[in-house]
Amino acid sequence: MPGHIVTSYDTDLENLRRSISEMGGVAEKMTAEATDALVRRDDGLAQTVILADKRLDALQRDIEERSVLLIARRQPLAIDLRETISAIRVSGDLERIGDLAKNVAKRVVAISDQAPAQKIVLGVRHMSDLAEGQLKDVLDAYASRDVQAAHDVWERDGEIDALYNSLFRELLTYMMEDPRNISFCTHLLFCAKNVERIGDHTTNIAETIHYLATGETLAGDRPKNDASNYATVDGGQAS
Amino acid sequence: MSNAAATAAAEPLIHPSAKAGADTKAPVRIAVKGLNFYYGQFHGLKNIDLNFHDRQVTALIGPSGCGKSTLLRTFNRIYSLYPEQRAEGQILLDGVNILDPKVDLNDLRARVGMVFQKPTPFPMSIYDNVAFGIRLYEKLPKAELDERVESSLRKAALWDEVKDKLKQSGMGLSGGQQQRLCIARTVAQRPEVILFDEPTSALDPISTGRIEELIEQLRDEFTIAIVTHNMQQAARISQFTAFMYLGELVEFSQTERMFMNPTQQRTQDYITGRFG
Repeated sequence: MPGHIVTSYDTDLENLRRSISEMGGVAEKMTAEATDALVRRDDGLAQTVILADKRLDALQRDIEERSVLLIARRQPLAIDLRETISAIRVSGDLERIGDLAKNVAKRVVAISDQAPAQKIVLGVRHMSDLAEGQLKDVLDAYASRDVQAAHDVWERDGEIDALYNSLFRELLTYMMEDPRNISFCTHLLFCAKNVERIGDHTTNIAETIHYLATGETLAGDRPKNDASNYATVDGGQAS
Repeated sequence: MSNAAATAAAEPLIHPSAKAGADTKAPVRIAVKGLNFYYGQFHGLKNIDLNFHDRQVTALIGPSGCGKSTLLRTFNRIYSLYPEQRAEGQILLDGVNILDPKVDLNDLRARVGMVFQKPTPFPMSIYDNVAFGIRLYEKLPKAELDERVESSLRKAALWDEVKDKLKQSGMGLSGGQQQRLCIARTVAQRPEVILFDEPTSALDPISTGRIEELIEQLRDEFTIAIVTHNMQQAARISQFTAFMYLGELVEFSQTERMFMNPTQQRTQDYITGRFG
């Protein structure tokens, strides 16, 4: 695509792209480190994650401000308008991902004196690995405007949901076995839920990429495998 | 589900007041078919096929010299003032080819009114400016003429500002008022089609807003074609947009589509300001 006649317009858009990519880097790191902190029971690392969220928030505010200014100044149309709107949306999703990672980190601190079953912790780790992979792929797709790659990410989210389901049932079982497990299991359940939500925001970004590249919204229902909404305590079977 | 809920679910998601959407089923008022235009040796329009829909605003956009004003000027054959300019092909207004030499030009220009870039009030009173066009074609009794002048000025959203000074010169009005006076003069002849050639490029933002509001209202009654260099204006007031370049029609579609997701690279480059 040729550059704009007004070159500072290109610079504005390029800077937005750069900030999104920086946000993406921070969010990826936070997601990975929050889970590391959980697995290794590392309070210090958890604190690092909590602090990193400030940077992410600042970046998001900055992107939003600059996008609004760009709309006011340049009245973008067609691809430029979609690019600007996408920057606002993606930065919002990345900011939420940061919040969710921070929340996992806080729970690491909260359960630092308890000894949760390592098997379940590893289940969360497995979920988180998937979510991190998805996040990395979607950020690459955003940078390269690759609709197919974004679509692949979108379709894979079902795997994270399915893992969350089985973790949910497992945690219910632990809690029923021994009420002393309830405290850490609840925290772990929230950690798992947070990771599942990170997956959801990742698919939002995939949808935004589709819109950015094609001008159409992604039609149809995303494969959803989170059945925990319907699960009950008796047997914990999700229906 | 309660009755109320059922009704709510059946209602469209788009608010009814949002009337800006294009009516693709509106009948075709002007059909341009295989139109070529020549300024002497210069081939100004190349094989244009394009439909203008009834009571819809169609915007013509494109860089200077692309032929958009030339196209507009063929609709009332104003070019025929210049002997070296000629049009070939067909322009069907309600099915009748207006390029046919047998078409009466005065009649055509009463049916297809035009508003120019610079306001062109005549050096006469406000009243006479509006009555001028009517008197050319119709002989109306005074009371009826008064009524027609008033309703035209009302339609041009100028009545309240000039009703107490109808006998004063039209030249004494502000630029924006002069432009609305010209619109009133055009409307007074009860045309079917109104052509606007960059009607706001000489006006301040407030006057521009008034004219845009006016064009939206005029759409209830008239088929409108507008040439504009202001992309946002085209996006705001038109239902259909045609992008022209070097005498060719590059892309024609619903305005919404055109400005969100054009199909042609040249259109995209132009509307986003990337033209080299």
